[in-house]
Amino acid sequence: MRMVGAKVPRVEDRRILTGNGHYVDDLQLPRMVHAAFLRSPIAHGRITSLDVEEARKAPGVHAVYTGADMRALSKPIRSPLAQGATPEIFPLVTDTVLFVGDLVAMVVADSRYLAEDAAGMIDVEYSDLPAVVDYETALDPGVPPLFPDLESNVLHTATKEAGDVEAAFAAADRVVEVTLSQHRIANVPIETRGAVADYDPGSGQLTLHAATQAPHGLRLQMAQTLDHPMDRLRVLTQDVGGAFGLKGNIFREDFCLAIAAKQLARPVKWIEDRNEHLMASGHAREERITAQVAVTEAGDILGITAALDMDAGAYPGVPFSAVSFTGVISLLLPGPYTVRGYRCDSRVLATNKSTYVAYRGPWAMETWTRERLIDMVATELGLDPAEVRRRNLYEGADGDRMVTGPTLAGITTRECLDRALERIDYAGFRAEQEAARAEGRYLGIGMAAFIENAPGPKEMRPNGGFTGGEAARVRLEMDGRLTVFTAQSPHGQGHETTLAQLAADEMGVPFEQVRVVHGDTQVTPFNILGTGGSRAATWGSGATMVATRKLREKVLAIAAGQLEIDPSDLQIVDGVVSPKGVPGREIPLARLAGQMTLMPQTAPPGTDPNLQAEERFTGEETSGSGWSGGVHACIVEVDLGTGGVQIKRWVVVEDCGRIINPAIVDGQIRGGVAQGIGQVLYERIPYDVEGTFMAGTFMDYLLPTSAEIPPIEIVHVEPEDDEDGGVGFRGVGEGGMIVAPATLTNAISDALAPFGARVTEQYLPPAEVLRLAGVV
Amino acid sequence: MSERTVQVTVNGVPHAAAVEARRTLTDFLRDDLRLTGTHVGCEHGVCGACTVLLDGEAVRACLLLAVQVDGREIRTIEGLATGEQLHPLQEALRDCHSFQCGFCTPGFVMTAVALLEEGATPTEEELREELSGNLCRCTGYQSIVAGVAEAVQRVNGGTAR
Repeated sequence: MRMVGAKVPRVEDRRILTGNGHYVDDLQLPRMVHAAFLRSPIAHGRITSLDVEEARKAPGVHAVYTGADMRALSKPIRSPLAQGATPEIFPLVTDTVLFVGDLVAMVVADSRYLAEDAAGMIDVEYSDLPAVVDYETALDPGVPPLFPDLESNVLHTATKEAGDVEAAFAAADRVVEVTLSQHRIANVPIETRGAVADYDPGSGQLTLHAATQAPHGLRLQMAQTLDHPMDRLRVLTQDVGGAFGLKGNIFREDFCLAIAAKQLARPVKWIEDRNEHLMASGHAREERITAQVAVTEAGDILGITAALDMDAGAYPGVPFSAVSFTGVISLLLPGPYTVRGYRCDSRVLATNKSTYVAYRGPWAMETWTRERLIDMVATELGLDPAEVRRRNLYEGADGDRMVTGPTLAGITTRECLDRALERIDYAGFRAEQEAARAEGRYLGIGMAAFIENAPGPKEMRPNGGFTGGEAARVRLEMDGRLTVFTAQSPHGQGHETTLAQLAADEMGVPFEQVRVVHGDTQVTPFNILGTGGSRAATWGSGATMVATRKLREKVLAIAAGQLEIDPSDLQIVDGVVSPKGVPGREIPLARLAGQMTLMPQTAPPGTDPNLQAEERFTGEETSGSGWSGGVHACIVEVDLGTGGVQIKRWVVVEDCGRIINPAIVDGQIRGGVAQGIGQVLYERIPYDVEGTFMAGTFMDYLLPTSAEIPPIEIVHVEPEDDEDGGVGFRGVGEGGMIVAPATLTNAISDALAPFGARVTEQYLPPAEVLRLAGVV
Repeated sequence: MSERTVQVTVNGVPHAAAVEARRTLTDFLRDDLRLTGTHVGCEHGVCGACTVLLDGEAVRACLLLAVQVDGREIRTIEGLATGEQLHPLQEALRDCHSFQCGFCTPGFVMTAVALLEEGATPTEEELREELSGNLCRCTGYQSIVAGVAEAVQRVNGGTAR
């Protein structure tokens, strides 16, 4: 049976459903001790005195580290991928705290209870400094920079210009101008951050058991920052309880744990608590764009200019800082539309808040901006938003190019739009909406389109793009089973299932006989990103496929030699090699592999008895447009009594190319949409004007529950099967989250249209809805 | 810190241990009894990942101290399957691809077990309400609701799907 395309039950499920998963907090090592951090209660201030003596004497305490202690044991933390002005930073604060939750000291004790007891005995005095908490203060040249080694709080500026902006605006009938703001939110995986650092003084081996998306990235950064030899540095990652971009970062706490483990020669565990997580793990999305759109009265979008400000928080993310994402935002903002002139100016600003981190589609501001703008244009011109989209969408023809450069050949946005509107019965809804308004009920419909280069057309990623593609290794075991070593590091995406589906089909072995190994830097191929950026579907899959093909060739060459037959006349079915159409001459893979491993000298001349293959996939075999994308549409009803928004329907029409496992793909989409809904209606990280953090619990930071997230209807636009063995799978992890906020805010805006509401803030809790409706 | 002795039956196995008065039930289960299937997601009773059954009732283990369960009976996710044979709920959740990362899973599973054992046959809307005390960040809940509804159908028969 062909596995690819089938709704195969997940390999991971038995263990997670029986309590047999292995998350980092499940680890108990002999002699293990526990860390707790003392964090800054203020947003900005100099440490004027720090007294840790009482804490050092507290029961069960093994060590207390201050910023000065850590500075002596660490090089500055500097990402190999750093962009923009980058300050010198160390694991703990050495002088000035820069946000509420900043790391002041670390206590290591026999238990977390005792470590927290001791942390409470540390005496710190601060001299307050004015906090930088908003865009204007960060931009003010009169405000001292947060980092003394940088010239300003503006960390980065850039301009991208494409097409003829002047001509576009000169030809316009009118210009629509607006400032759109996206609020600060947080990834909030249900498993917080955490790690266990273990050091063996005998061998000098440092082992990090980490809840990470990127074991190799963590290993590389740790080796550089601690000056630790890489042959004695291993990262191990088993089950990870969600991440959504957050755990692709390498955190200052990680270095503290490794340093303490080396100093104490004991395993040191730290598991972040939820308050620490909300306050200090990192935040996402706080951005604003002031945009001007040049349009004709007929609804042609001729040009767009955008000025982007990103609030990067206090410390640069490692390895990817906020600056890393400005390029993608400015590249993709024109989307699948025929914009002719375009400019985007970007600024990235340092503030006294927690670090900006990637969160599922970190460039999503481009989609929200564009799709909100289109609805605003439609409103201003008195046109139908669906018609404005149709009028400006590319067809996906061969010569179609986004104004910023990339080819859009083969995109299916128009088909997705038509199918979404058909599915949701757009015409029927407009009639229903009108009738409802007559009864004083306010229904709205929203739609939005996105495209994502996951992996992007081939011209955007020569030789495998910036990572040079991705490698995988496969090994035929002596019992005929297949082991796949992947560079992906899954945290809920089910790669142990999907990659096994691919390998089973490629090799011709039963699905149950494929094991996917990930998260061990000692055996898995290098990949600085691990799992993230919707890369696995193409890069992880392609690597698994080309490596398995290579191994299959080796196996067939051996079998062909043994049977004195041409390899092209052989097949492998259910783990047995046999001449096609000739029964009675079967060679089970177990026999072949056993023989080649135990007696490699018996390999037929010219064949390789080493039944492993490692291949790097550079994307040459990819098929299709390279663009993931689609259109979402939703219907809401706004209650003008409470300001509540009820989502009545949500339709997704998306194109991620060929689908490996429909249940997993649908799960990715629904999960992303749920996060997007949370982002608009419930979630916000608030700071007050002094930089005080205001959402330290789940009573303050609200996640949507099963009672709020509606059923999500999904339609796939899927191409025909690849006959030529192409890799037609595209990323699907981020799309739902990228486009959901635009879809939902457009629907709420549409519902409030009778009140002339202009939705420019993405966060729409009941109070804001009532304000927009003019009720309060 | 003073210690007290706690006697508790977990998944049918009696345990006696000396614990600090302040030790949470989650730490007791996970670290002392090494039953790490129960997860800790928020430590303030909101996310529900730590849900266990205390004398048959779904409770938040992070809000209980180990000393509070003296003389009582606890069931955790490790106690559901019989050898290799999954509980019908576990089978239904697997069949419906209910979960992704698995971290919220023990809480949903134990919440749903309590529901099943009450003999409940909720409608989908009621089920969504019943499960709304547990947070999942991966799935958007639809697959979890479908999995529990499937289990209700298989075990208790008759539910409005």
